[in-house]
Amino acid sequence: MKVYPDMKKHINRGWLIMILVLAAGCQDFLDLKPQGQLLQTSFPVTEADAVAATNAAYASLRNWYFNSGGYPILDIMSDDARKGSSPGDQFSTVGAYDNFTINNQQDGLDRWWAALYQGIKAANIVITYVPDIAMDAGLKNRCIAEARFLRALYYFDLVRAWGGVPLVTSPEPPLDLGRSTLQEVYDNIILPDLLFAKDNLPEANAYAGNDVGRATKGAARAYLAKAYLFYPVPDFVNAEKYALEVINSLQYNLEADFTNATGVLGHFGTESIFEVGARPSDGTENGGAQFGNTQGIRGFPNRGWGFNRPSPDLINSFDANDPRMDKTIIFLGEVLDGITTQGDLTCPDTTYLNSVIIEIECYNQKVWTPGDNVPSQWGHHRRLMRYADVLLMAAEALNENNKPADAHTHLNAVRARARAGAPGGTLPNITETNKDLLRDIILEERRHELAMEGHRFWDLVRTNKALAVLGPLGYTDKYKLLPIPQTQIDLSQGRITQNPGWN
Amino acid sequence: MAALAQNRVVSGTVTAKEDGQGVPGVNISVPGTSKGTATDMDGKYQIELAPGENTLTFSFVGFTTQTITVDNRAVIDVALESDSDLLQEVVVVGYGVQSKSDLTGSIASIKPSEITRIPSFNAVQSLQGRVSGVQVYNTSGAPGASPVVRVRGVGTFNNSSPIYVVDGVILDDISFLNPGDIQSMEVLKDASSTAIFGARGANGVIIVTTKLGKTGQEKPTVNVLAEYSIQEVAKTIDLLNGKEFGQITNEIIPGTYNNLNALPNTDWQSLIFRTAPMQNYQVSVAGSGAKSQYYVGVGYYNQEGIIPKSKFERVTLKFNNTYALSDNIKLGNNITLAPYSQQNAPDVVYQAYRAQPLHEPYYSDGSFGAVPNVGNPLASLEYSNNFNSGLRIVGNMFMDVTFLKDFLFRSSFGVDLSNSKSEDFTPAFTVFNPDGTPNQQQNLLSSLSKGSSSSSTLLWENTLNYTKEFGDHRLNVLGGFTMQSTRNEFINIRGSNIIRDFPELRYLNNPLYFYDPTTNPIVNNLSAINNGVDANMYYSLVSYLFRVNYTWKEKYLVTASFRRDGSSKFSPDNRWGNFPSFAVGWNIINEDFMKGVDVMTNLKLRASWGSIGNEKIDYLKQYSLVTSNGNTSPVFGAGSNLVSGTTFDVAGNPNLVWETTYQTDIGVEVAFLNDRLTAEFDYFSKETQDILVPLRTQGYAGNGNGALITVNAGTVLNRGFEFNVSWQDEFKGIKYKVGFVGNTLHNEVLAVGGSKGIDSTLVGGFLGNGQPATLSTIGLPIGAFYGFRTNGVFQNASEINAYPHDANVVPGDLRFVDVNNDGQLTAADRTYIGSPIPTFIYGFNLQLEYKGIELLADFQGQSGNQILNGKEIVRPDPYNFERHVMNRWTGDGTSYYEPRPTFGGYNYSISDRFIQDGSYFRLRSLTLGYSLPSAWTSKISVKQVKVYLRGTNLFTISNFTGYSPDFGSSNVLANNIDNGAYPVARIYTVGLNVTF
Repeated sequence: MKVYPDMKKHINRGWLIMILVLAAGCQDFLDLKPQGQLLQTSFPVTEADAVAATNAAYASLRNWYFNSGGYPILDIMSDDARKGSSPGDQFSTVGAYDNFTINNQQDGLDRWWAALYQGIKAANIVITYVPDIAMDAGLKNRCIAEARFLRALYYFDLVRAWGGVPLVTSPEPPLDLGRSTLQEVYDNIILPDLLFAKDNLPEANAYAGNDVGRATKGAARAYLAKAYLFYPVPDFVNAEKYALEVINSLQYNLEADFTNATGVLGHFGTESIFEVGARPSDGTENGGAQFGNTQGIRGFPNRGWGFNRPSPDLINSFDANDPRMDKTIIFLGEVLDGITTQGDLTCPDTTYLNSVIIEIECYNQKVWTPGDNVPSQWGHHRRLMRYADVLLMAAEALNENNKPADAHTHLNAVRARARAGAPGGTLPNITETNKDLLRDIILEERRHELAMEGHRFWDLVRTNKALAVLGPLGYTDKYKLLPIPQTQIDLSQGRITQNPGWN
Repeated sequence: MAALAQNRVVSGTVTAKEDGQGVPGVNISVPGTSKGTATDMDGKYQIELAPGENTLTFSFVGFTTQTITVDNRAVIDVALESDSDLLQEVVVVGYGVQSKSDLTGSIASIKPSEITRIPSFNAVQSLQGRVSGVQVYNTSGAPGASPVVRVRGVGTFNNSSPIYVVDGVILDDISFLNPGDIQSMEVLKDASSTAIFGARGANGVIIVTTKLGKTGQEKPTVNVLAEYSIQEVAKTIDLLNGKEFGQITNEIIPGTYNNLNALPNTDWQSLIFRTAPMQNYQVSVAGSGAKSQYYVGVGYYNQEGIIPKSKFERVTLKFNNTYALSDNIKLGNNITLAPYSQQNAPDVVYQAYRAQPLHEPYYSDGSFGAVPNVGNPLASLEYSNNFNSGLRIVGNMFMDVTFLKDFLFRSSFGVDLSNSKSEDFTPAFTVFNPDGTPNQQQNLLSSLSKGSSSSSTLLWENTLNYTKEFGDHRLNVLGGFTMQSTRNEFINIRGSNIIRDFPELRYLNNPLYFYDPTTNPIVNNLSAINNGVDANMYYSLVSYLFRVNYTWKEKYLVTASFRRDGSSKFSPDNRWGNFPSFAVGWNIINEDFMKGVDVMTNLKLRASWGSIGNEKIDYLKQYSLVTSNGNTSPVFGAGSNLVSGTTFDVAGNPNLVWETTYQTDIGVEVAFLNDRLTAEFDYFSKETQDILVPLRTQGYAGNGNGALITVNAGTVLNRGFEFNVSWQDEFKGIKYKVGFVGNTLHNEVLAVGGSKGIDSTLVGGFLGNGQPATLSTIGLPIGAFYGFRTNGVFQNASEINAYPHDANVVPGDLRFVDVNNDGQLTAADRTYIGSPIPTFIYGFNLQLEYKGIELLADFQGQSGNQILNGKEIVRPDPYNFERHVMNRWTGDGTSYYEPRPTFGGYNYSISDRFIQDGSYFRLRSLTLGYSLPSAWTSKISVKQVKVYLRGTNLFTISNFTGYSPDFGSSNVLANNIDNGAYPVARIYTVGLNVTF
C-alpha cells in the first residue's frame, strides 16, 4: 500500500462527505411531485380557473345519470310511457320502475344520487374558492351565481326524488352527515341559491358566443317559480311572482313550430330558458349526451335503444287533431327527415294484456335529431326549462291565486301555438273559471305540452293526483319519494335513514 | 532449489472427494503460462513442468477449483470438492454472502445447469417445479412474454411479484438477462433473509449473480452454445365441427340448415397455429489475470411464435470485470446491454375459439371470407403490424476497500436504463360479406400508433462490513446507506390516414394532410397525444440498513437485521418505515452428543421472524388531483361547442402507507449417509397487513358514481409447509440424483375493509361483458371465483315450479342453487365456486449419468386450484361451442348436467359449470445428453463437447379443456381466468455445448 495511501484517504474522505451531504439532502430527494397532474391545492387560483371550475359544474347535467340514473325512469313511472326497448331488455332493472316493483337497491338510484352530489361538489368548489381569487369582480360574481344556480338545481332534483337529504355546502364535507329536512334544504340552499342567482346572473341576451347556454336571470326566476310550486306547502304567490317576472322580462317567446321547442332548430332558441347542450358524437367524453341515445329509435333507422316508449294512454289522451301528438311520438311507418321508421323488427308491434292494448311500438320524437347514424342521436339538447313550462306555471299559480282571466292568457298562448296548422276548432281557447276545473285543465295541458320531457310523474305527485292516476299501474303512496339507495345507508353506517315504506 | 532446475513430469489422479471416483475432463493448468491438460476417462493426468513452474490449478465445472504447490513431488493426487457440498456451500444473501451452515434464513439456490434447462429467454422459467414455495406461471405463451412469479403465495391484492437483485442492482424483472450468463440464483423467502430489503422485500427477493472468471483461471475458458428448437401447440381445444354446429343450431333455431352434410367445416385453430423455430446461441470467455477477473458473454436469442406475426429477438452483451488496484482496493463492474425487438400478434386465439366452423377462410377469389360477429382471424393476422423494441442497460461499478484487516467498505453505483418504442399500424381494409356488403371487420382509414418511453434507475449503495473470528465466536456486522432514484417518461401518438402502407412511411407528422375519401376532403392525421410518466417508475428511496450475524462454536447462530426506508411515494408524515427481523439457528450436528451419529451428516434447526414491506402500490391514490376532460365539460354556444371545464377528481387519501408483511418461519435441515440424502423442511406463516384496498365512499362526498378511495385496510394470510428432499448416489457406474420439492399453501383473506356490505368485498376478474368473476372477501382466497352453483338441469315444468328459479327459465335450463334460502333466485345467490390459488405445488427432478451419457427429467405440477373458462361464458352473439355441448339436454331425462343448447343468456351466467380443475402434472423438461470422452476432446485442446436433445412440456396430465393449465394473470384479482390466452408451446430442442 505504499503507492496509494493518499488516494485511499481521499477516496474514503470523499465518500464520507458525499454520504453526509446526501443524507442531509434526503428530504428534498424524497419530495417528488406527481407528474403531469395538478393538485387540488393549486386549483382554482386564477380567473381562467374560476371559469373552468364553473363550467365543470354544468357537466353533471350531461351526465347520463342526471335526473334518471341512466334511463328516463320519471317518464316510465308516469302514465305517459312504458319501459320500451325489447320486452326482456332491462326487464328487472328498468322494468321495475314501469310496474312499480322497485326495491331499495334498485339499479340506477345510486347512480342518480352520486351524479347529483358530484355536480354539487363541482358547484361548491366554485362557491368556496372563487371568492378569494383576484379577478374581474363582475365575472367573479357571475361564476358564483352560476354555481349557486346549479347547486340549487341539483338539490331540487334530490329533494323531489328523495325528500330531505344530507346538506353538503363545501367541497370536502364531514363524513358523518345525516339527512336534513325537506324544509331545511329548500330554505337553506335551494331558495337562497336561486335568489342569489336571480340577483347576480345576466339576462339571456347578455350572453354571446360560447357563453350562450349558461345560467341566466330568467332561468333562476323560472326555477324559483317551480321551487315554490314544489315547496312543502306550495307558495303560489311567489310562484306567480317569479313566473311573471320571466314573462315580463321579454327575453323569451314560444317557438312558432312546436317541434322546435325541443328540436334541433330551437337549440338555445327563444323558447329555451335552460337546456343541456350536447354534441352529436357518441361518448359523454366527446360532448355527447346519452339521454337521446337511450330513447332513440331501435332497429331502423338505428338511433339508439328505444327506451321510454310513449304509452297508449298518452296517445289516447290528446285532444282530437292536437298536432302535438304526432310531433311527440314517432309511429312505425312515420317519415322523419326523409327516413321511414321501421323500428325493431324482432319486437312485437303491439302488446296486449287481457285483450287490451297496453303498448305499441313507437318512440319519443322529442329527442329525435336529424342525421344518418347513432352518434347523431347523442346531440339532442335536453330542455330542462322552456318558456311554455313557465307560461303554464304562471297559469297554474294565477288560478290558485284566484286570477283565472290572467291564467287563461298564458294557458291559451300555449294552446294557440300548439294548434297552429290544425283544422279549425282544434284546441279552442279555455274560458273555464272554476278553480278546481281549471286546475285540472292546466295539468292536462302540461301533460300534452311537456309530454316525455320528465315532468309528468312529479306533477302528479305534487298535485296529489298520483295515487288516483297511477294507482292502477301499481303506484302506492310510498312512491312519493324514492328509496334512498341502500348502499348509501350502509356507507353512512345508518346515519342516513330510509324513506317510509322502503326498508 | 537446484532440484527445480530442469523439466520434470508430474502425474496423478483427480477424484471427487464425495465418492472417490476419478473425474474425467478436469482442467489442469499452470498459472502464468498457457500450458495445460485435462484428465482422462479415469481421472488420470500427466503434465510436464519447466523450471520455475511450481503451481498447478485443478478446475472443473461443479467442483471447487484447487491450486496446489508442487514442490518436489512427482505424484499429486487431488480430491476435488463438489461445489454443491452442502456444508461448504456459500450462499448469496442480501448485501453479502454467507456459508450455508451459518444461515438462519430460508434461501433456495439454483445452479447454472438448472437455470439453462428450459429453453427460454427468461431465467425465472427455470424456477418452476425446482424451488419449494415458488410458483411460476405464464400470462401468455407469446414470444417475449414474461412469466409471473409468486414466492410463498399471494400476499396482497396489488402487485405481488418479487424483486430481483442482479449483482447488487435492485430490479423488477430479469427479462434482459441471458440465462447462460447467470452463475447462481437464490430465492430469499423468509423474513430473516428478505427484511434487509425493507419496503420492497415482502413478496420475496430473487438474487441473481452473474458469472465471473475464477481466480487462478489464467487460461481463458471459452464456452460456445448453440440450440435450435421447434415449437408447436401442444393441444388444441375440442370444438364442434361444421356438421355438429349445424345440428346444434337447428335445435336452437329450427330449420336454419337444410343439409347438414353440405355444410363447410373450417378448423380455425389449425389455420392460426404453426410450428415455429427458436434459436439460442452464445459465446462466453471467462478467466483471470494476476490482478483481474473477467467474463465476457455474447448471446443471441430468436423465437418465432406458434402464431404468425409474433416474434422475439434479443442480443445480450455481458461484461463483468474486477481489477485489484492494490492489495486492499478492488474496482469492478457488471454490465449487461440487451437490445431486443418483438412483434405481437393480435388476439386471434379468442377469435379462432369463437368463429363458427361454417365460414370459409377465403372466398374463391382468394379474398378473406367474412366471419360475422367475430372477424376472420386470418384477416386480423394479415393486417396486424404491432412491434416494440428497445434497449435495456443494466449494470453497476463498484469499489471494495479493505482496511484495518476486518473491515470491508463497498460502494456501488448501479443503473437500469431502458429505452423502448412501439409501433402499431393497421392499413385501411375491408372484409366483405358474401353479398358484397362491407363486414364489420374493416378499417376505413389506415391507423398508426407510435409510442416511446425511457426510464432510468440510479442506485447508489454503500455498505461497511466487519467480519471477525475470535475463539469460538464469529461475528459479521453490516451497515449501509443506499439511495435510489427512478424516473420514467413516455409519449404515445396516434393518427390515421397514412398516405401509403409502406413500413418506411409509418411516421406521424403533423403538417401532413391527406385526402380522406370517406368523410372530409382532408384529414389531419394526428388524433391523440398522450405524454406522461409511469407512476410505478417514478420515485426515490433512501435507506439505512444494518445486520448482525453471530455464530458461537459453529453451533448457535443469531441474525438480526434492520432496515429503515424513506420513500417519495408517501407523504412526509408517512414516509419512513422500519423493518426489523430476528432469527436463530442451531447446528445440532455440531453438538458433542451427535458425535456418534455417523449416519447423520447435518441436522439444523432455524427460526425467524420479521416484518417486510411492499411499496409497489398505486401510491398516486394519496393525491387529490384536478381533472379536465370531456366528461367535466359543458356544451355551449350555437355551434354546440365543448367548452373546457375543470374540477376536482376523486379525493385522494394522504394517509396511505406501504403494506407490511409479518412472517414467521421455522426450518429443519437434515442430511444422512454422507449427504447422500438431504432434506430441508420449512413451515411459514405470513400475514400482510395494511393492504391497499379501493373502497366505496359516501355518495354525498361528490366523488361521482362508483368512486373508490384507496385505504390501507386489507389483511391476507399465507401459510404453508415446504420441503426439498434429494437423494444422490451411484449404482454400478450410474450416478443418479433424485429431488422432490414442493409446498402446501393456505391463502386466506382476513380483512378487506369493513366487516359487512360492499366494504367487505373486492370484486375483480371482469369478463369481456363486464361481469365480475371474482370476489375476494373474508375467509376466501384472494381472487376467489364467485357465481351460481348448479344443481342439475330442469327436466320439466313441474320441476321448475318446485324450485326457486329465474323468471325466464324453461325445461332444459340449468338449475341454480338458492344459496341464501330466501325462496328466490337472485344475484345474491352467487357464491364461492373455486380458487385460483393451488394448495399444493411440487416438482420432481431426476438426473442419471453414465459414461458421459446424461438423462435429466423434470416433472412438475400443482393441485387444488380451479380455472374459470371465461372464454366460454361471454356470448353476445352465436359462437362455436366446445364439445361437451353435444351431451346436451334434449328432453326429460336426457341430461342432468349439460343444459339445452343456447347461443348465450341464462345458461351462460357465471356458474360452477365453467369452473374446471386446475390441477396438472407435467413433464416439464426431458434431456438426453452425451459428452464426448475427454480423451478424444483433449487431443484437439477441447475440454468438453456435449450434444443433447431436449423436450419441453412434453406431456401434461390435466382435465382442463383449454390449451395449457399453467397460465394466469399478474393481476391477483383476475387470476386463472382463461379468456383465450396465447398457448404455451411444446418445444423440441437440439443443442451443442463446447468448452475450450
